[in-house]
Amino acid sequence: MSIFRVHIPFLDEVKAHGVRKALLLKADDVVTRITAGLSIADVRAVLRDDPPGRPNPRLKPHSEGFWLHMRPTYYHNLVDGLYPTFRLGWLSTYFFAVEIITGIILMVYYTPSPLVAYENMLNILSNVPFGRLMRDIHRLGAELMVIAVALHMLRTFITGSYKKPRQFTWATGVILLGVTLFLSFSGYLLPWDQLSLWAVTIGASMIEAAPPEVVGKTLSLMVLGGPQIGANGLLRFYLLHVVALPFVGLIAFGVHYYKVIHHGHSLPPEAEEIGVDSATRVPMNQRSYFMPKILTRELFYVSVFTLLLVVVAAYFFHAPLEPHADPQVTPLHTTAPWYFLWLQGMLKLGDKVIWGVIVPTIMGGLLLLLPYLEVGPSRRYAHRRVGLTIAALSVVALAVLSFMGTPWYGVTVTPEVEAVAVILPQTHPGPLRTSPWEEIEYGSFEASAWASAPTPALRELLRTFDHELDRMRAAGQREVEGFMIVEDWQPGLKKITMRVVWVDGETGEPGEFSQVAYFHRDSNYAQGE
Amino acid sequence: MKWHIVLGTLALVLTMAVLAFLALNEPARMDTFIQGYEARRIEQGASLFQSNCSSCHGVQGKGIEGVAPALNAADLFNGQRLERVGWTGTLEDYLEGVIAAGRPVPSAGTTYPQRMPTWGQEFGGPLRPDQIDALVAFIMNWEERALAEAEAPPLEAPSAEMVGTDITIALPEGDPERGKALSEGALGCSGCHVLATVGPPWSASGDLPSLEERAAQRIAAQDYSGEAADAQQYLIESILKPDAYVVAGYPPGVMPKTYGERMTAQDLADVLAYMLSFR
Repeated sequence: MSIFRVHIPFLDEVKAHGVRKALLLKADDVVTRITAGLSIADVRAVLRDDPPGRPNPRLKPHSEGFWLHMRPTYYHNLVDGLYPTFRLGWLSTYFFAVEIITGIILMVYYTPSPLVAYENMLNILSNVPFGRLMRDIHRLGAELMVIAVALHMLRTFITGSYKKPRQFTWATGVILLGVTLFLSFSGYLLPWDQLSLWAVTIGASMIEAAPPEVVGKTLSLMVLGGPQIGANGLLRFYLLHVVALPFVGLIAFGVHYYKVIHHGHSLPPEAEEIGVDSATRVPMNQRSYFMPKILTRELFYVSVFTLLLVVVAAYFFHAPLEPHADPQVTPLHTTAPWYFLWLQGMLKLGDKVIWGVIVPTIMGGLLLLLPYLEVGPSRRYAHRRVGLTIAALSVVALAVLSFMGTPWYGVTVTPEVEAVAVILPQTHPGPLRTSPWEEIEYGSFEASAWASAPTPALRELLRTFDHELDRMRAAGQREVEGFMIVEDWQPGLKKITMRVVWVDGETGEPGEFSQVAYFHRDSNYAQGE
Repeated sequence: MKWHIVLGTLALVLTMAVLAFLALNEPARMDTFIQGYEARRIEQGASLFQSNCSSCHGVQGKGIEGVAPALNAADLFNGQRLERVGWTGTLEDYLEGVIAAGRPVPSAGTTYPQRMPTWGQEFGGPLRPDQIDALVAFIMNWEERALAEAEAPPLEAPSAEMVGTDITIALPEGDPERGKALSEGALGCSGCHVLATVGPPWSASGDLPSLEERAAQRIAAQDYSGEAADAQQYLIESILKPDAYVVAGYPPGVMPKTYGERMTAQDLADVLAYMLSFR
């Protein structure tokens, strides 16, 4: 009957050592398997920062386990401090992980269709516990990731770390920068609000400008799935955002990090002899071991940054959600996301094809080829004055171009429209809608007589309005006056008419502009969205 | 390194505490959001109503005789109208259906010459489903006042004498505030003269001078066919006997000829005062 005999090895252990000892041994065994080589006592020793035994068991997870197989077992002491890396590469990776986690949670509640996408947003905000927090962290993380990646690249340039033999690492990094920017940008469209529709429309018109015409048209058709952005375009942006770009990003990240480890973290420029790359030859006495030092520090960073992200997203930062996308209604000022403002600024310089397509392509190409262009062997700051100056000038140029991309530069909107838009903006709630409802009293008020308005909120609004109208007065218009008329429209609903009348300074023609808004007692624009 | 572990653990615990605190407040936050969003839907509906509906249903939804029925009316909210048309669903669904699909055939008991057009995109109209929801929310927001007005006794019994068609009548002092209420409410002038330019706009704009100046110009015109002797009489004539003189560019017969039977001398004075208050 031996066919029915079951042999349980654990029972043999129990027979040999007793239940307690056998369970402890079993637990030790499980931990050793999970950590790929560290027993419970080893893990404890790592956390306590005890000296490792011989042979060092802390090297095993690197050689036997998957998760640490690419991580070095030790770093050079000189790259272990805040300088020269500033942890920016690590930070970029951290944000990428945060984006993946929050992104997957958001995907659960999202359908990429213009019919329901915006409603999905409202549902996430109103009906999903922690839905708003997830959305806010996702948005905040995206913006911070763009900053971290850009600074990481700048730092790599400044310390000359992209020089031979790390040219290819730099190239993969440029790809990662592109992936980051386009991940962020493709996510812009998904809420299907006015902000997303018009930001993406600007972007898409640039694709269409790519020469020759047949290429631009075809590219634009491929991205938008039609002559205008619609259901097909939304689906394509969604798939780019959740599948294609993360896929490219993960692969490029794998190659990038593999190359970083393969060549070793480049040492501070002043620590090496000119033309010598000594990153992979780390003397025994200058090693910072991954376990315990780097590992505990990274765990520490993860918990601190997560705390910061959660607190900031919960109390200080709320991702904007504008009104439902409407191709019929062009908002007064459509701006690209801030990290593409420089591009919008360049578009104001002249021809769309030259400044919107050709110049950015050349810039991207130069960035990619930079390590093959700046080939001087020295990484010392003093020997790279030209390169560093060009970098500084480029940063300044980007800042100036970004300013030029904002509506404050070179946008010709008539001042009366601008003045009303300050009180009643189309893209965010603005001062009137965030004022206390009760303080917007019924009546007709003149902007210039703001001081005699009955409530503080009205005084403040009218004063702002009048201040904006000063620009018209300065421009030579006569008898400029602003009115604000508040009417009782429905239970809890006020109708507010902002009206500007003037007499043209040159022709003597009277002019009039007015805009109507409705304001409900419970609309609560101050809550964030 | 040990302080890394201590602080890291502390941060983890703090994160959990913040999340727990947020979890406690989450239901209230979600409720606040829903309330705020419902209110914003009404705002959106108000603006859609103004641009798409008010020219037929009146600025305040009181309806325009011979054009479209009242929506800001008790019978819509107390179920009488639904009963009349034989609708057994909710009022919201009724409104949504009528706005989205329009009225290809007139409802039982009505004789409006125009059909309600389709508004929903799914039926070939211009509005998205969420915009129709917003319109429904705005119309439903009249419920409280429409029902209260129906219960309250009529504010002014029609005891005063109607003004008739005498354009030389001596008028009492006018109150522009009351004239505004009349124009936007019972008389419905604003629908064509203030919010739209179906009739000559009351406000001055561009090359259009103020009403007073315009009236003076009109009676001096070559083809003037009315009897007014001065600007005020011209305005009174335009209200009481609209076809006495039709300004070139405006079709005759659009302005109702019944205002003389609907206004007292005080009403006329108030509306005039309101008209002349436009700059």
